[in-house]
Amino acid sequence: MGLPARYGIDLKELEVRYRELSRVLHPDKHAHKPAGERRISLGKAVEVNEAYRILKDDLARATALLALDGHVVAEGEGAPSDPMFLMEVMELREELSEARSAKDLDRVGALGEKVTAMRRATTAQMATAFDGPEPGGAGREHAELKALVGRLRYYRRFMDEVDVIEEEALG
Amino acid sequence: MALLQIGDPISMPTPIGIDLGTTHSLVAWVTPTGGAVAIQNCDSEVLVPSVVHYREDGGVVVGTGAMAQALDHPEATIASAKRLMGRGADDPETKRLGSYRYASDEGPVVKFDVGGGKVVTPIEVSAEILRELKNRAIDDLGDVGAAVITVPAYFDDAQRQATKDAAKLAGLDVLRLLNEPTAAALAYGLASKENGVFAVYDLGGGTFDITILVLDDGVFQVKSTGGDSQLGGDDLDRALAGVFLEDLAYADGSEVPSNIARALLSGARRVKHALSDVEVVDAEIELPDGRKVERRITRADFDALVAPIIKRTGVACRRALRDAGLSKDDIDGVILVGGATRTPIVRSYVAEVFGKEALASIDPDQVVALGAAQQADLLGGESRRDDVLLLDVLPLSLGLETMGGVAEKILPRNTAIPVAAAQVFTTYADDQTGFDLHVVQGERELVEDCRSLARFTLKGIPPMAAGLARLEVRFEVNADGMLSVSAQEQRTGIHQEVEVKPSYGLTDDQIEAMLLDAYEHGGDDVAKRMLREQQVDAARVLSSIEGALGADAALLEEGEEARIREAMKRLSDAAAESTDHRVIASRIEELDELSTPFAGRRMDRSILDALRGRAIGAIEDETKDAKGVETHLAEEAEKYAQERQDS
Repeated sequence: MGLPARYGIDLKELEVRYRELSRVLHPDKHAHKPAGERRISLGKAVEVNEAYRILKDDLARATALLALDGHVVAEGEGAPSDPMFLMEVMELREELSEARSAKDLDRVGALGEKVTAMRRATTAQMATAFDGPEPGGAGREHAELKALVGRLRYYRRFMDEVDVIEEEALG
Repeated sequence: MALLQIGDPISMPTPIGIDLGTTHSLVAWVTPTGGAVAIQNCDSEVLVPSVVHYREDGGVVVGTGAMAQALDHPEATIASAKRLMGRGADDPETKRLGSYRYASDEGPVVKFDVGGGKVVTPIEVSAEILRELKNRAIDDLGDVGAAVITVPAYFDDAQRQATKDAAKLAGLDVLRLLNEPTAAALAYGLASKENGVFAVYDLGGGTFDITILVLDDGVFQVKSTGGDSQLGGDDLDRALAGVFLEDLAYADGSEVPSNIARALLSGARRVKHALSDVEVVDAEIELPDGRKVERRITRADFDALVAPIIKRTGVACRRALRDAGLSKDDIDGVILVGGATRTPIVRSYVAEVFGKEALASIDPDQVVALGAAQQADLLGGESRRDDVLLLDVLPLSLGLETMGGVAEKILPRNTAIPVAAAQVFTTYADDQTGFDLHVVQGERELVEDCRSLARFTLKGIPPMAAGLARLEVRFEVNADGMLSVSAQEQRTGIHQEVEVKPSYGLTDDQIEAMLLDAYEHGGDDVAKRMLREQQVDAARVLSSIEGALGADAALLEEGEEARIREAMKRLSDAAAESTDHRVIASRIEELDELSTPFAGRRMDRSILDALRGRAIGAIEDETKDAKGVETHLAEEAEKYAQERQDS
C-alpha cells in the first residue's frame, strides 16, 4: 500500500491510500468492462482489502512484521509470565464473569472500554519496540515483541468474550 | 464512427432501485437530470404494503388490496414474509410469527399453506412483491432494466441468497444486493456532499441495523455494521398488542385466534402512530368476533413498555462504534432510516447514544429506495458518474467448524469486501480420506449458536498419517457479500469448489421449475430477452474497449491494436446481424480474451498512479517495492495462520 514496513503506521494515511486504491480497483468501477478486465480488478481489489485488513489490525500487523523478520509467533508462544499482569487479567476476568451472570450489560461495556485502553497502551509500547531501533528493524528485541504479542492476544480474547456476552444479550 | 453506431438503436433499459421492506416496499429510479424519485401508482401511492393475498381462484393480490383481505382471510394473506427469508421451518422466528398455517411437508424451507391446496415459500411471496414493483416501474418508465435490491446489513448469506432467488423468480436481474443503511447514506451523502463520519440508525418494521461510515469525496466507506435481524417496529406493536390482550381474558398459553391477533396488532400500530404526535390516545379496537377493546394509553405508558426493546439497539450501536475504532464524539451526523424512527422515544434514545440530534430531512420511508436507485444508476445506468464509489464490509463473521463444535473464524465481521482468506487444516486420523467441512456464519463461539451455511466433503485424499495432509480452505466473498468456498489438499492437488448454497435456500431445480411456471403464465419471451441483453452487452464492451484504445494507445504492444480491432469488427457485425444470442456471446468472449492483457497493463498503471498521487515525490521504484512488502505481509500472515493450525 506504499507504506513503510514498520509497526507505527499512520492509520489515517492507510485509510486514505485504501480509498485511493479502491477508487481505481474496485470491481464497481469496472462493472461495464469486459469480463477479463473485471476479473483482474476483482483479484487486485481482493489483494488490497487483504493487506488493508492486516495492516489496520494491531495484532495481525505485529505478527506479520515479526514473520517478516523470520520470527513466527505460534499460538501460546510469548504468553505473559509477569505476575502483575496475570493478576490484573485474572481480576478483570472475574469482574467480567460477575457482570455476565448479573446480566449487567453496562458494566460489561465499561470493562470492554477499560481493556481497550490497556490494549492501546500496549500497542504504543509495541510501536516503540518495533520502530525504536534502526529503521528496517535491525536490533529489534524479538523476545520482548513476542511478549507484547502475547499481551495483545489476552486483550483480544477478553474483547471476544465481551462480544459474545453482548451477542447473547441481543439474542 | 461505424463501430459505435450499433449502440444507438438500443436504448438502455432504465435500472431501478428497490427497497424490499418487511412492512412495505417501493421502487425508485434516477431521472435523466440525476435526481432519484420514487415511483407512484395511479393513486399517487409510493409505498406498497409488503402483503400478498392468495385468492381462492388462484389469483394473487399484492399491496393495499391484499391488506384489505387480511382480516377476513388471515391464513391466505401473508405479511412480513421478509422475516422468514432464508429461515428454516424449525427456526424460533417461524414460530414467533404465529398467525399463519404452515405446510408440514418435507424440506427445510418454511412454507405457508394459503388454502386451496396452494403452498408458498417466503421467497415466492417476496417474488410477488418484486413483480408488482417491477410492473409499476414498467407502467411508468416503459422499459425496465436490472435492479439494485436492498437488504438489511445484518442479513446473513442465506437471507441474501433467498432475496436473490426471489428476484430471479420475479424475472429481475440483480445488479447488486445493497445494504439498506449504505443505501440511505448514499442518498444523504449525494444530496449534501458533506464529508465526515456518519452513523445510520435504521429501525425498520422487522430489522434493526446500525452502520458507521466515512464519506470522503464521493467514496462511501463503511467502517462497521451491526444490528439485529429480529428486532423492529413490529416488536413495538407486539408489545402494545400484548397490553390489549390482557383485557381479553385468554388463559396463559392458550391460542389466540389469528384474526383476533391481527386486529390487535393493527390496532396497536395505529395507536403507536398516533402517539408520535399526541400524548394520550384512547384506543378503541373492534374485534372480528364483535368484542371491543378500550384502553387509554399515554406516551409515558408506551415509552415504558417499549424502552427495553429500544435499549437493545444501544448495545449494537456501541459495538459498531468500537468495531470502527471510533467513539461517539467522532460522529459528525446521525441519519435516521425506517418508519419506526418516527417514534419519539426512538429519536431521543438515538440522541442519547450518539450525543447529537439525528437527521431526518429525507423521508425515512423512502430514503433507502432512493439510495438504491442511485447505486443502480451507478452500476447499470447510461449516465456514468465516475466520482462515486461504495466500499462495503462483511456484516457477520464467516468460519468453519473445528474440533469440539467450535467455530473458527476465517473472515471476521466488518472486513472490507470483496475479500479472500485461506486457512490450512490437517487430518486428525490416520488414513483419513475425506474432510468434512461445515461453513458457518455468526459471532458466537459454538457452531450450534451460529448459522449453518453449507456442508461439503473433500474426498479422495490418499491415505496418510494423521497430521500430514494439508488442506487449504479458501473463502471468497464478492462485492455482493456472497460467499464461495474452495478446498484443496496441497500435497495431492485435489480441488473442490462450492458456491455456497445455504441449507435453507431453494435448489436450482426448484428455481428452474418455478421460473418455467412463471413463464408459462406470464408469456415472457425468454429468447428475445436474452438476445436483447447480449446486444446491450456487446455495445457496452465495444464502447469500453474503444475508449481504452483511445486513451492508452501507449500501452499497446506491436500488432495488438490490429488484432483487437479485428475482433471488435467481428463482434459489431454479429451484434447487428445475428438473431442468436449465443453467437454474440461467443464473440464477446473472444474479444474479451484478446483484450485482457491490455486491460491488465492499464490496471497496473492505475495502481501506480493512485499510489503516486498520494506519496508525494515517491518514485516508481519505491512504490513497486512497497507493493512487494504488502504482498509479502499477506503471505506471511497466511504462513502464520498455517503454523498456528499445525501447533
